[in-house]
Amino acid sequence: MEHAAASPTASPKDYKSDIKPVWCPGCGDFAVLNALTKALAYLELPREEVALITGIGCSSRIAAYTSAYGFHGVHGRALALAAGLKAARPDLTVLVAGGDGDGLSIGGNHFLHACRRNMDMTYIIMDNEVYGMTKGQASPTTAPDWTRSKLTPRGTGLRPFQPAGMALTAGASFIARGFTGDPNGLAKIMVEAIQHRGFSFIQALSPCPTFRPEQMEWKRQVRPFEDERTADPILAAQRIQADDGMSMGVIFHAQYPVFQPGSQVVGELAAIEQEFAL
Amino acid sequence: MNLPDKMRDLETFLAYSVALEEEAAGRHDELADMMDVHNNPEVATTFRKLAHYSRLHAKEIRNHARDHDLPRIAPWDFEWETMEGPETADIGKVNYLMTARQALNIAMGNEQRAHDFYFSISEGSPDEGVRGLAAEFAEEEKGHLALLQAWIEKLPPEEEPAFDPDPPNAPD
Repeated sequence: MEHAAASPTASPKDYKSDIKPVWCPGCGDFAVLNALTKALAYLELPREEVALITGIGCSSRIAAYTSAYGFHGVHGRALALAAGLKAARPDLTVLVAGGDGDGLSIGGNHFLHACRRNMDMTYIIMDNEVYGMTKGQASPTTAPDWTRSKLTPRGTGLRPFQPAGMALTAGASFIARGFTGDPNGLAKIMVEAIQHRGFSFIQALSPCPTFRPEQMEWKRQVRPFEDERTADPILAAQRIQADDGMSMGVIFHAQYPVFQPGSQVVGELAAIEQEFAL
Repeated sequence: MNLPDKMRDLETFLAYSVALEEEAAGRHDELADMMDVHNNPEVATTFRKLAHYSRLHAKEIRNHARDHDLPRIAPWDFEWETMEGPETADIGKVNYLMTARQALNIAMGNEQRAHDFYFSISEGSPDEGVRGLAAEFAEEEKGHLALLQAWIEKLPPEEEPAFDPDPPNAPD
């Protein structure tokens, strides 16, 4: 328990916009929004110093629902946009969010290189193991025997990605898994991830009540990781491989060199506008 | 050490109580917004009213806390026995076709858990002042349960479940 200022200056509500989310009632993404706004309020980050960059998909709409700067970008390219922003504005707290399809399929290559580059930003994949916005197709994290999509009536037959394992081998320096049924626990992970210097990755298991109603049972399946976090990538790899994907918490936390371009070309806005004038 | 044992002073108990009520109010607002967006105005209104009542209760508790310096407790440091506060509705239990009766039944469950929380503290806190105030809050929650029950009884009989001829998960 922390005893700090009796009256915190920021509340989670301060970080929500006036736009009502269009997510399906019951969607786990509401809890990601709650966790994120709780984390930002806890850290008391000025809204104008936070940028949330997202891709395309249900979860990527989250940028519109916060009052921080937001950029609802191009499918799979949220991390590329975020890297450019962080290079230009290292003073900003850069957050990136999207779904499992956006981040691991369309944006899979960007994900690997963002981990490797280790720029100081936080990436949240809201993982529901399905493409929800396009009405329920298998994604890279879908189990091989999921047969409820017309496109894969016999299942994909493909082994699903392990996002945490991918992040580890690609060089991410902070890797965690959270669950939207525990938004407070997820908020705590987000605080640590944002405070971490380097690329922090959070896989947030976020049930889709519409296309994957069976995921509503996840709340009975998740558990905390048995082991403490480690800075040893070999140990972390063993734990990730041995886990069934339902253990929650910070898995890996190390300090790697952070990539941040040192020399920046600074231009006046008018000159830049002139350059891009049609 | 169980939760009632940890309620050793009024400040901690009030911090928990304020968080419980404010989180519940915020969730009811959120559920009302969901129903607004999905064109279920009756249930949206129900959740909006529930949010209003939770906020009134939060205000009342804040009045009790006026002369106390409450600790700032991070959301994840509240040691609830559930993943969120006991009065917070589970987002996973709602759907866009739900009825006001179903919404009120969810609210009954929330109020019952809130009552049980306060009651356990009224029995188990080592501090006499905390026990007294918790007993008062538990009684209020019991009153809320009775009001909800009366509200449910006034509703017209449950009709057939709503039917959506074009549900969001219909294959194209």
